[in-house]
Amino acid sequence: MAERLRPPANRVAPRAMYLWGMEALGSVAGGVVLAVAAVLAIRSASPPWFQGWIADDIWWLPVLAAVVLLPLVVVQPVIRYRVHRWEVLPEVVYTLSGWIDRRWHMVPISRIQTVDTRRGAIERVLGLATVRINTASHAGSSTIRGLPGDVAEELAMRVARQANEQRDDAT
Amino acid sequence: MTDGADLFLEQRLSPKLLLVRPLRSLRQTAIPIVLVLVVGHLSLWSLIAPVVGLGWAFGEALLHWLRTTYRLDGDRLRVKRGLIGQRMLSIPLDRVRGVELTASPLHRAMGLAVVRIDAAIAERKEDGTLDALPAAEAERLRAVLLHRAGAASEPVEGQEERPPLARLRPRWILYAPLAGESVIPIAALILRFAFNIADQLHLFGGSRRLLSLVEREPLLLVPAVVALLVFLAAIATIWFAVLNWDFTLRDRDGSLVSERGLLTRRGTSLERRRIRGWELLESPLERLAGVARLRAVVTGIRSRQGQTQLLPIGPRVEVLRVAADAVFPFEGELIPHPRARGRRLVRALVPPLLLTVASLPLQLEWLTGVLALVTLLGIPLALDRHRALGHADDGRRMSVREGSLRRRQVVIEHAGMIGWSMHQTLFQRRIGLCTLSASVGAGRGGYAAQDLTTEEAVRFAAEVTPAWLGPLLEPEPAALRPSASPAAPRD
Repeated sequence: MAERLRPPANRVAPRAMYLWGMEALGSVAGGVVLAVAAVLAIRSASPPWFQGWIADDIWWLPVLAAVVLLPLVVVQPVIRYRVHRWEVLPEVVYTLSGWIDRRWHMVPISRIQTVDTRRGAIERVLGLATVRINTASHAGSSTIRGLPGDVAEELAMRVARQANEQRDDAT
Repeated sequence: MTDGADLFLEQRLSPKLLLVRPLRSLRQTAIPIVLVLVVGHLSLWSLIAPVVGLGWAFGEALLHWLRTTYRLDGDRLRVKRGLIGQRMLSIPLDRVRGVELTASPLHRAMGLAVVRIDAAIAERKEDGTLDALPAAEAERLRAVLLHRAGAASEPVEGQEERPPLARLRPRWILYAPLAGESVIPIAALILRFAFNIADQLHLFGGSRRLLSLVEREPLLLVPAVVALLVFLAAIATIWFAVLNWDFTLRDRDGSLVSERGLLTRRGTSLERRRIRGWELLESPLERLAGVARLRAVVTGIRSRQGQTQLLPIGPRVEVLRVAADAVFPFEGELIPHPRARGRRLVRALVPPLLLTVASLPLQLEWLTGVLALVTLLGIPLALDRHRALGHADDGRRMSVREGSLRRRQVVIEHAGMIGWSMHQTLFQRRIGLCTLSASVGAGRGGYAAQDLTTEEAVRFAAEVTPAWLGPLLEPEPAALRPSASPAAPRD
């Protein structure tokens, strides 16, 4: 038997890239605001080293923050879309996620306690949903983001039904 | 013992608690009161305050007694609290995971015990506490609760005579300082307290004089450090003895019942069918002495202080025997993780090394020296952490081990597994390693095997749970794969 995992069968919706991009945009905006606040604070405190080119070019700091964080908005969603995958098998829910790291989750359907779907504000606009598969251990729970709404509903129903038939939550 | 039919009627707590509770609050307030009387200026208020306090304590006890009742109702235990606004806690008996009986010296003198019911319900813990019942009554309630909780219904009489599964020998208490981890916070507390008092009494005449003394006579540090270590060891031993004196573990009614404590006796029952495995804990000193600690991995109970102890400390052989008798044996040989050494070294050395370098511009020689020393100490630590890593399976149970200062080997039965997760950081991906975690609905929730090769991780997971992993394996031949698939682990 081969000692390698094959990737799960299904990709998430391509629209999920917008979801991750917009969420990242939020944190980039936060970073820029922080940088601006830092600049203002330094200006008003005016420490001894705050002179010459530092004082003149301090306004580049927020710009720098934006440039450094920008890959989060542009690159991260694309990589995530290429990595994230999911599959429901007769006995296991199998997911893969991450962008600079990788996480494989194998949740046996017999051990699933609850299945939730969730739609945040951005997800609703994009017609996406998140499916959360909960077990008796938080470490053993798994989340699939960026599914089309109807796929998510169908998936949650199917997994919940299968889980009901096989249930043995090992608690 | 009885069948507990009368428990279906409303029961009250023992009236003796009208005495116990005020006495207990008195004990807590006694020192301030004495201090006020002795040290403080004698005013009217300093006389009134204790009286008011006593009245308050008694009133509280009376209220507590009046407002608390409990009874069995079908398959639930109902605990009712409150005179006017009533709160009802309803515990389904099949959700009862364990029952703990506690008796402080005061409770013991009065023949009382506190019953704490550990149940898998989403309510606050303290509500499942009945303080206090007559000891025999508490014992009976425990038997009824656990008996009806679906435990094997064997005859209860005459079980007491069976020898315990484990018993802490008094001389094992001397191993207590080797564990190390519980010592440090307590010692720090005591030392701070002592320093505060000394400082208040101007014993030192300021720390500056002490420092100059050390500078003149640096050799004085040696006996000082030795004395400190002896002191810490003594504290650890005493503390351990108070908590764990005459620890016994018994098999009773489908539960593992442990009793421990010198002054306050604590009894914990862990339902057998909720025990998913055990974990063996060792510090480096304990390893040298060949001793270890044993805990159960129990559904719904995070390994908090003492609750899940199966043997507080003992020779390794004895600990393994107890694990085999009380839970189950494990015969697997741990498979080491040979390629993990580099990562252990990097992770142990890089942070202190960076700090050392960062400290250079500060021109504080002693700081740089200390940081460099910490970095050097990281080397044996990392090597030991590498040696600790391992995973094994014996067909019915799987096991993983990690850690150096606190080496932990956990053994879990396959039926207790609720999934796998495999994590690979960027650095791990470049060298083809990953961390495989077994999810368990008990204990810490997940137990990790660090830095295995991805091939070994997948092989191991497939060996433990072939039905789950089988359909996820890549079909043979696995030789060449399209590089367009970013999802597949790289070598």
